[in-house]
Amino acid sequence: MFDDLKSVMTRVLKLGSLLVVGITVLGSVIGFLVAGTSGLLAALAGGAAAFAFTALTVLSLLFGSKLNLGGFLGVVLGGWLVKVLLFLVLFRFLDRAEWLTLSARPVVFFVVVAAVIGGLVLDTIVVTKARIAPSA
Amino acid sequence: MQIIQVAAEVAVQTSQVVGNLGVLGYGLAAIGPGIGVGLVVSKTIESIARQPELAARLQVTMWLGIAFTEALALIGLATPFIFAV
Repeated sequence: MFDDLKSVMTRVLKLGSLLVVGITVLGSVIGFLVAGTSGLLAALAGGAAAFAFTALTVLSLLFGSKLNLGGFLGVVLGGWLVKVLLFLVLFRFLDRAEWLTLSARPVVFFVVVAAVIGGLVLDTIVVTKARIAPSA
Repeated sequence: MQIIQVAAEVAVQTSQVVGNLGVLGYGLAAIGPGIGVGLVVSKTIESIARQPELAARLQVTMWLGIAFTEALALIGLATPFIFAV
């Protein structure tokens, strides 16, 4: 009847994966038409980055919810910090990658933004529909 | 007169921004979400302290707040792909 944190997060992870796969496939087709193989690879890299970014937050929450409040916040906020550093390095690598042509560069941006915004809409819908019981 | 010219040259030289502007971009992309996530978390701690029985519900709401705020950071980090030539 009621959802718990784990079931909500698992649902978000499953539906979010499907959404990112869909956006990445669409982005790959558009990227291939716009910039050839480089556009296709750019869409795949952008999709993978966006999925990892959103999925890591969900996973940190799932893992952190087993700890007390201090541990929970430490895992969620520490995970966020590590994640931003990882993405800084990843985007720096992509920025300098030779296979990423000039016309394929916007594909990375638009796939990342589409996946993130789509993911946020999905998160909102799942959370709105979730019925979480107050603990005793 | 000469002193004024030298002072003007020094002022021009010292007002130049030297280095990679991407660093400034990262700083700007991080500062907003940093403040935002801090606010979301602090208010959640306050709320859980007031009503511990709502912790599970508040944690999910907090996650939604963090997800929206951190999207700003991700978009900020990805902007070099459309703005840089």
